[in-house]
Amino acid sequence: MTAPLLELDDLRVDFRQSGHVVRAVDGLSYQADKARTLALIGESGSGKTVSARAIMALLPDTARVTGSIRYEGTELVGLSERRMRALRGNQIAMVFQDPARSLNPTLRIGAQITEAIHIHRQVSKAEAHDRAVELMELVRLPAARERFRQYPHQLSGGMRQRVMIAIALAGDPRLLIADEATTALDVTTQAQIMELLRDLQERLGMALIMISHDLGLAASYADEVLVMYAGRAVERAATQTLFGHVRMPYTRALLGAIPRLENAPHTTLAAVPGQPPDLATQPPGCPFAPRCPEVTDKCRETAPPLAEQEPGHLWACWHPCGLEDSAAEEVAV
Amino acid sequence: MAAPTEGLVPGVLEPAVVAPPPGEEGRLGRLRVLGGIWLPALLVAAIFFLCFVWPIIGPVPSPTGGSILNSNDPSFTPGHLFGTDATGNDEWSRLLYGGRASLEVALAVTAVGLIVGGTLGAFAGYVGGWRDGVIMRALDVLIAFPALVLAVAIAERLGPGELHAIWALSFFSVPAFGRLARAATLRVREQNFIAAARLSGTGHVRTLLRHVVPNILPELITFALLGMGIIIVLEGALSFLGLGIPPPAPSWGNMIAQGEGILSAQPKFVLLPSAALFITVVSFNLLGESMRARWTAR
Amino acid sequence: MSSTASAPLSASPRRASTGALTRVVRSPLLRFVGRRLLVAIPVLWGVTFLTFVVINHLPGNAAQQLLGVNATPQEVHQLAVKLGVDKPLLSQYGTWLSHLVQGDLGHSLASGQSVTSILGTDLPITFELIAYAFLISLGLAIPIALVAARRPNGIFDRTSMVFSMAGLSIANYILALILVYFFAVKLNWLPALGWVPPNKGLATNIKYLTLPAISVALSLMCFYTRQLRADLVQQLRTEDYVTTARAKGVGEWRVIRHHALRNSAFGLITAVALNLGTLLGVTVIIEQIFGLPGIGHELLSAINSRDLPVVEGAVFVFALIVVLANLLADLLYAALDPRVKYGSTN
Repeated sequence: MTAPLLELDDLRVDFRQSGHVVRAVDGLSYQADKARTLALIGESGSGKTVSARAIMALLPDTARVTGSIRYEGTELVGLSERRMRALRGNQIAMVFQDPARSLNPTLRIGAQITEAIHIHRQVSKAEAHDRAVELMELVRLPAARERFRQYPHQLSGGMRQRVMIAIALAGDPRLLIADEATTALDVTTQAQIMELLRDLQERLGMALIMISHDLGLAASYADEVLVMYAGRAVERAATQTLFGHVRMPYTRALLGAIPRLENAPHTTLAAVPGQPPDLATQPPGCPFAPRCPEVTDKCRETAPPLAEQEPGHLWACWHPCGLEDSAAEEVAV
Repeated sequence: MAAPTEGLVPGVLEPAVVAPPPGEEGRLGRLRVLGGIWLPALLVAAIFFLCFVWPIIGPVPSPTGGSILNSNDPSFTPGHLFGTDATGNDEWSRLLYGGRASLEVALAVTAVGLIVGGTLGAFAGYVGGWRDGVIMRALDVLIAFPALVLAVAIAERLGPGELHAIWALSFFSVPAFGRLARAATLRVREQNFIAAARLSGTGHVRTLLRHVVPNILPELITFALLGMGIIIVLEGALSFLGLGIPPPAPSWGNMIAQGEGILSAQPKFVLLPSAALFITVVSFNLLGESMRARWTAR
Repeated sequence: MSSTASAPLSASPRRASTGALTRVVRSPLLRFVGRRLLVAIPVLWGVTFLTFVVINHLPGNAAQQLLGVNATPQEVHQLAVKLGVDKPLLSQYGTWLSHLVQGDLGHSLASGQSVTSILGTDLPITFELIAYAFLISLGLAIPIALVAARRPNGIFDRTSMVFSMAGLSIANYILALILVYFFAVKLNWLPALGWVPPNKGLATNIKYLTLPAISVALSLMCFYTRQLRADLVQQLRTEDYVTTARAKGVGEWRVIRHHALRNSAFGLITAVALNLGTLLGVTVIIEQIFGLPGIGHELLSAINSRDLPVVEGAVFVFALIVVLANLLADLLYAALDPRVKYGSTN
């Protein structure tokens, strides 16, 4: 069995804010493999973005990272800034959410791409230029040569996102993290970008971590799905398995909240009731307890561990869905 | 897209904000933030006390009418903390009374600017249209007009004096406040709660008074505090040029002018009022900046 | 402001026939400049008219000043007629205005010299002073701000913020006196007074301008340092493109110098251009202290001698510079910000 490219082990990220501590990521563990796509799904505040930024050490100074992040065996937590910079853009690359603001408005597109090239390789200006155009064509940016000299505001959202992907690919990364990369785009463009990412992954053999709140997207493009809530992983399985037998009530609620065409018109949208958790004050017990339809006293007292309950399917719940066995009914109140 | 200078305030230096970063506080940080407001506020209060209250209740001799027999006493002569000047006036007293004069001018000019300029600017920003254009052009004229010409003119025509210095400097502060108020009003006007107020039937005047003014006031007050420092310096400049408060009545500016001639011989006559000016301006600047940090980091 | 997908890059038939000249004439930039200049005209008119009114309300007139207190009323009147200052206000103003549009600023009532030539001699001196001051202030402010922004709230940052606050609070005339006291009187390194034109020795010329320039430059430098530092720190802290750059592996220095500085430059440029207008007022008192024969000095003495044409000429130039400085700020903004330059009409 090949060693995983990236391995997170009990990652915790705390933020020091005006006296109290906010735990944004609370014991996250997963693996990412070459040529596979892992989807990190969760609401805002679930810790998915923070965990991704922790991998690349792009968090503000107020953050405290503990636990382990191993990339090809190298421990990233606590790695010197100089060595981290050698990895950023080079081996591990990231694509962000808002292409309108993620590109420097005062620099030309081409310059921003060639900068990524020059950082990690010793090439001449002409070579960098050609490679940049090559990358732009790789991400299917029309009229690449002309676009080279244009500014970000002259491109549409979808095109800008392609540029971001080109920048990310400039260093031939082995791991690409797409942080809500398509959230700000319209549905059609979204599909195009996801197709592009999948295609690139197949061609280049990268590991891809896609972060999103969109389960539908995960269903279509991911090999493995990890659902996060309040900084923890609450369910994880291969895509087929997860969507075949959803166990976590939270995941089920997320699925149920997606509007469906087959529903009758005027069907009430099943929103997840309650408020997202306040990460500063975490009560003991399951973090989803205040909003869970299946909640019992046990849930409020003890947090369920994330455990492999079925082969290839991990979840953290005392009362998983769809399991009509005696163990679940026993603790009904 | 509005050009960057429309709505900015030409002619007035606006020190930039230095706010403590979010989340980086802890004990020392909190101390710094608190020190940010209370220390300068205390300083300002102390300065006002010294200049306005202390001469009345304390043992401070008159700043004028000194006897030539006492002239040029050195510092720490009994009864004269900082000695006396060339005509026998107590230097400490001159500092305090001079400060009072300078502060009076600064307060008056700021008040006029705030009230007249603030109202004009808020009105212009709120109503827009041709009225806005007219008011702004008028203010532009005042800004482009060399304050110096006006100051000289007023001084020549009416004689130099405290009131006239106030007149002259107000020509400068009204447009400054006006432009700021207008810019702030424009920003506030776009907010949704204004639309909500109007939609629920609130009249224009009420909207202005109840919704616009409270929201532009913090900015105006911060500007006023920072402006105090600038106006005190300007008043000093006017008095220095002989156009402000005329001797023998002291003002920090004319004290410096008088001391210029004997700078090498007796530097204290320049250094003392300079230091007083400096401390006062720093206090106002610090206060203004920490208020601004407070308001924007809300 | 919505993002704009640019037009298809293949030349459309209409495009091919549009010449460069038409593009320039129709360019929004030119219209912008034109509009601003048009708006400036009433302002300039207002300023000059107001000056006229104010000066003419001063006690005494030019004739009186020239002849002194011992002149008889008849002599004064005679000279007044000769100089044209006995005519009613509006008529004098009208004459002046009509000459102005022909480019004639009149002649000094005191010396007879043409105002244009007086201004021509004085303005360069003031400009040199201002340029020198800008050089010093920006030359120091930019590096300091860059280093401060590298480690916000570090020792260098805090120290420079404290010093810049102090520097901002010093009145420039006080600074001038203190500088003279130390550098001219005590140490004798630099001259206290006077002016030497560049053609008599550039080094000497600069020596004489140094103390005055520093007096002007200190508060400017402090202001620019604070402004740039705050802007840079804000860019570094909140802007997404900074995160992208860091994610590329760009080192922090390059992020500041190459990425953030470009975006912060706008605020700085605006501030500099605006200050250009206010500096003219500042130079009056500095020129007085240092005995520099610049335009501020000229204005002051012209007011005292009621030399109306000179006053009007100088005031007009002052106001013109203020207007142009504002315009320049906007133009630079438009020229440097690609979002404005290559907007929806390219």
